[in-house]
Amino acid sequence: MNVAIETDNLSKTYGMGIKAVDGVSFSVAAGEIFGFLGPNGAGKSTTIMMLTTLIRPTSGTAKVMGIDVVRDPQGVRKTIGYVSQDIAVDENLTGRENLRLQAEFYHVPRSQIGERIREVLKMVDLEDRADDLVSSYSGGMRKRLDIAEGLLHRPKVLFLDEPTLGLDIQTRRRIWDYVRRLRDEHGLTIFVTTHYMEEADSLCDRIAIIDHGKIVAEGSPEGLKKALGGDVISLKVRNSAGEICGDGVGRVIEKMPFVQRAIAESDGIFTVIVRDGEKAVPRLLSSLSESGITVDSITLKRASLDDVFLHYTGRELREDGGKSEFHRMRTALRRARK
Amino acid sequence: MCLLTTCEEGGSPVGSSTFLHDTWWVCWRELKHFAGQKVRIVMMLVQPVIWLTLMGNMFERMAMVPGFPAKSYLDFMAPGIIVMVTLFGGIFGGLSVVWDRRLGFLQKMLAAPISRSAVVMGKMFAVAVQTAVQGSIIFVLARLLGVGFAAGPWGFLFLIALAMLLSLVFAGISLSLSAVLTTHEALMAVVNFMTMPLMFSSNAMMPLDMMPRWLRAVARVNPLSYAINPMRSLFLSGWNWQELAGGGLMLLLCASVMTLVASALFERSMA
Ligand SMILES: Nc1ncnc2c1ncn2[C@@H]1O[C@H](COP(=O)(O)OP(=O)(O)OP(=O)(O)O)[C@@H](O)[C@H]1O
Ligand SMILES: [Mg+2]
Repeated sequence: MNVAIETDNLSKTYGMGIKAVDGVSFSVAAGEIFGFLGPNGAGKSTTIMMLTTLIRPTSGTAKVMGIDVVRDPQGVRKTIGYVSQDIAVDENLTGRENLRLQAEFYHVPRSQIGERIREVLKMVDLEDRADDLVSSYSGGMRKRLDIAEGLLHRPKVLFLDEPTLGLDIQTRRRIWDYVRRLRDEHGLTIFVTTHYMEEADSLCDRIAIIDHGKIVAEGSPEGLKKALGGDVISLKVRNSAGEICGDGVGRVIEKMPFVQRAIAESDGIFTVIVRDGEKAVPRLLSSLSESGITVDSITLKRASLDDVFLHYTGRELREDGGKSEFHRMRTALRRARK
Repeated sequence: MCLLTTCEEGGSPVGSSTFLHDTWWVCWRELKHFAGQKVRIVMMLVQPVIWLTLMGNMFERMAMVPGFPAKSYLDFMAPGIIVMVTLFGGIFGGLSVVWDRRLGFLQKMLAAPISRSAVVMGKMFAVAVQTAVQGSIIFVLARLLGVGFAAGPWGFLFLIALAMLLSLVFAGISLSLSAVLTTHEALMAVVNFMTMPLMFSSNAMMPLDMMPRWLRAVARVNPLSYAINPMRSLFLSGWNWQELAGGGLMLLLCASVMTLVASALFERSMA
């Protein structure tokens, strides 16, 4: 197996001691599509920026195609493509001029520039607007142009930070088809962050989930779903007095022997992870009614990547319930105001 | 399909030709922006007319003071205006970096396999080209308004070359600042703090002899003087080699130093 990306204890601490990335180690095989998932502020973009040589790691190492990002950044830059989370296209140029600039920055041979530009324009469906100023493009069109730029020079490793955020389904599908084709035909390695779980599920060979700067789970989407235990029950409950139930009920549910984990979504709604859904539903219902809790609704489904994500990053049922979350938000706000 | 080769297999130019290539394309982008700004180009024509006619009239009488170095105040002031416009054009050169940083375009360039120095020099060179355009416009307008020029056509080229060197000095200062100051506001504050004192403690608008003694001392060491003195001699007396060589070499030195400083700061501040 050829390794395309390899990190060892990679960390980044910003000023004021914010540990954005905290000892992350993973490796991505050449030709793999690797998904990097995590909630807002988890450290996804920071990791990508270290791998694309835009910021220097505080500690740890990272290699792309065997090249160290700190020792030989220029070597890394030659082999990668990067589409950032910000839509970084030049408004004062036309779409075609933007692509031309990108081709020149990446030293695409002159004889191929025209053909390549036509090809990516077709892929993102911007042929008709290619000679208009980008300032006249819609947000989605700009994003498409930005992605086209990242693919233009056919990098060996492509970093996509939220590439399909805000695009319509049609365009998303077309972009993924193209990306997959590049991978299948040319062994392109892709490192992608996304918030669309179905996308990650169907596209990625492997994913890692990052939260608070640390990788909390890693594996194939199938493997992760299996590890979760399989089935997910959603239920809405209230107690005999008709009041909405809080964390107390969550603890009751979690104590049941066949339950692996219970997550409180919002007051009265719980996600319960169980091993064998069909058998668990009746047992859960009878146990709850014994404790004087009424079930308003209940559904059973197979675990999806959404559930995996929630399982690893979701709120824990601890004594302090939602307090810690609230506390964090308040300190963050106070800090921001200063 | 041979189309689908990676950039490495495609063979990329190497060495100094790559550097020039990258610098040119950074510069190309800046010049495209410049050409797209219609309002700014119109203002570039209107502004010097206002300066020349208004200021020329306002201070006309100054030329009557015995010992005034030129026939009319306008003759005296024309090179001063070129220097002023050069100063402003150069010192705001760093703003494009701050802007690019905010839009994420700077990051895009920095993630590409082009050197940081190419980014710096491309932007500096674009500023110098704009200065050449502006300087030429002012020169033509001044001539139309009756300002004399002693040094002839080659003198004009020398004049523009001096203006371009001066703009490189200030663009270098501005870009160096932009590597350190990441917000628009901070950069503007520092730049504004620098420009006016630089301008008014120089002999751009007033002869040294008419200044109070302390100001005269400041004006002598003001870097703007290295440009104004040779430029003025081109206008008023022709090829004064001592003045031209002295000023020109000094500007060349300052421009080179600032280019190196700006490149080094860029190299350091962005990984
Ligand atoms: N330049 C910076 N200076 C200080 N802190 C930063 C900086 N950039 C990011 N951070 C902090 O680092 C943490 C991780 O940010 P990062 O942008 O990597 O998150 P992310 O996973 O990409 O989030 P999102 O899904 O919102 O894009 C956050 O707490 C953020 O506030
Ligand atoms: Mg991000």
